[in-house]
Amino acid sequence: MEDVQVVSMLVRRCIAGDAAAWEEIVQMYNRRIYNICYRFAGSGSDAEDLAQEVFIKMYRTLSTYDPSKGAFVTWVTTITRNLLVDHFRKTKQDRMTDSMDTAPSDHEDAQPLSEQIQDQSAPPDVHVRRREVSETVHAALGRLSPELREAVILRDLQDMDYKEIATVLKVPEGTVKSRINRGRGELARLLQRTYRQVM
Amino acid sequence: MPDQTSNGMHCNEFDALLTDMLDGVLSGAELDRFQAHARSCKACGPLLAEAEAGRNWLKGLTEVEPPASLVTSILASTTGVDSQRLRAPARAVQPHITWLDRLQASFLEPVWAMVRQPRFAMSFGMAFFALSVGLTVLGIKPGDIAKIPTSPTAIRHTYYNAQARVVRYYDNMRLVYQVQAVARRVKRDVAPAEPGPSKQKTNRNDTTQQPEQKQDRNYSQNDSHLILASAPLGPSEVYPLNRDLPVVSVTTYRRFV
Repeated sequence: MEDVQVVSMLVRRCIAGDAAAWEEIVQMYNRRIYNICYRFAGSGSDAEDLAQEVFIKMYRTLSTYDPSKGAFVTWVTTITRNLLVDHFRKTKQDRMTDSMDTAPSDHEDAQPLSEQIQDQSAPPDVHVRRREVSETVHAALGRLSPELREAVILRDLQDMDYKEIATVLKVPEGTVKSRINRGRGELARLLQRTYRQVM
Repeated sequence: MPDQTSNGMHCNEFDALLTDMLDGVLSGAELDRFQAHARSCKACGPLLAEAEAGRNWLKGLTEVEPPASLVTSILASTTGVDSQRLRAPARAVQPHITWLDRLQASFLEPVWAMVRQPRFAMSFGMAFFALSVGLTVLGIKPGDIAKIPTSPTAIRHTYYNAQARVVRYYDNMRLVYQVQAVARRVKRDVAPAEPGPSKQKTNRNDTTQQPEQKQDRNYSQNDSHLILASAPLGPSEVYPLNRDLPVVSVTTYRRFV
């Protein structure tokens, strides 16, 4: 995924004060970190703020990175995950998997997920339809518990292997696999229920 | 998850192998046992289908594009440097800088920038005007400047001429002359009497040894000379010898020309 030597060189240059090296690191990882934050937090504005916080933390703790302990991308993802957990605790969004009929947001007048899909049914354009499906899956992903959500995000969206995920989440590989299975199953049940109501 | 064994496989084992199955790494007898358990177990069968469906839903999610301002804000909040400004010198090809370019950058451009200011143009115009007026008053024409000799000998000659003119001007000043005259008078009063006229006559034509005496002959001794002036007498009057005549003492002050 990453050329270890190139990244190590970039990190060394960055620690030595090379601003261009730091910019290369930012260019290399901003998309990945933003996507993790977006899928976990659910909104673009939160994801932007969180991604920025991740890089600030990275910048301050870059000298603590030890290449012998793992890949740089694992280190970066660990920082991201820890910050997302902190953010989740601060905002008290400790939501377990809910029914699709519960409101997707804290607003009282917000529509349930099933109603959102029903109102936007049968769009003529395939592209629009695909975008709507993507938004539905994204909304359903936000209904998963944080433990299941982070596991499926790292595995199915970021293509990390189980060992790396175990390192990031600080749990055994078996637990990682179990969480991934449960997360996938829960997501499928949520979406099946949604589309059953739509149909 | 129910804890039961079906077709030689425990449900926990099924759960552990589920990811491998979906990843396509399960094969052989293990795959057969897995599939047999999925068919026979009422809990694990649907779990396999749901996990596969959930994975397919997630695989349908595409990456979202981060905001264009994200990198800029990250760099601004970390290094405090704007990314565009940071990128520009890195991508720009370093041009070859010659000594002429350096001279132009360090000296000519600042000077030219100062010259272009209206204040400097006004000052330069005033200086030129004052110089032209001064040359006109002194009677110097621009054409005369070209006639100025440039050879060392001519320059030396011009220098000595100028020096002589300055000395002459200094000596001819009235105040200086008066001071010099007083000094000479005092010197003469203090000094012993001058040699007799016979000796002077013998050396009359020899002025090289006594230039000052020659000068004094005409001017410096006039103070003590009595010049006799005679009033016009009538024709009836006889002009007797040794008659008392009016004596007029005249002191002249002459200057070198």
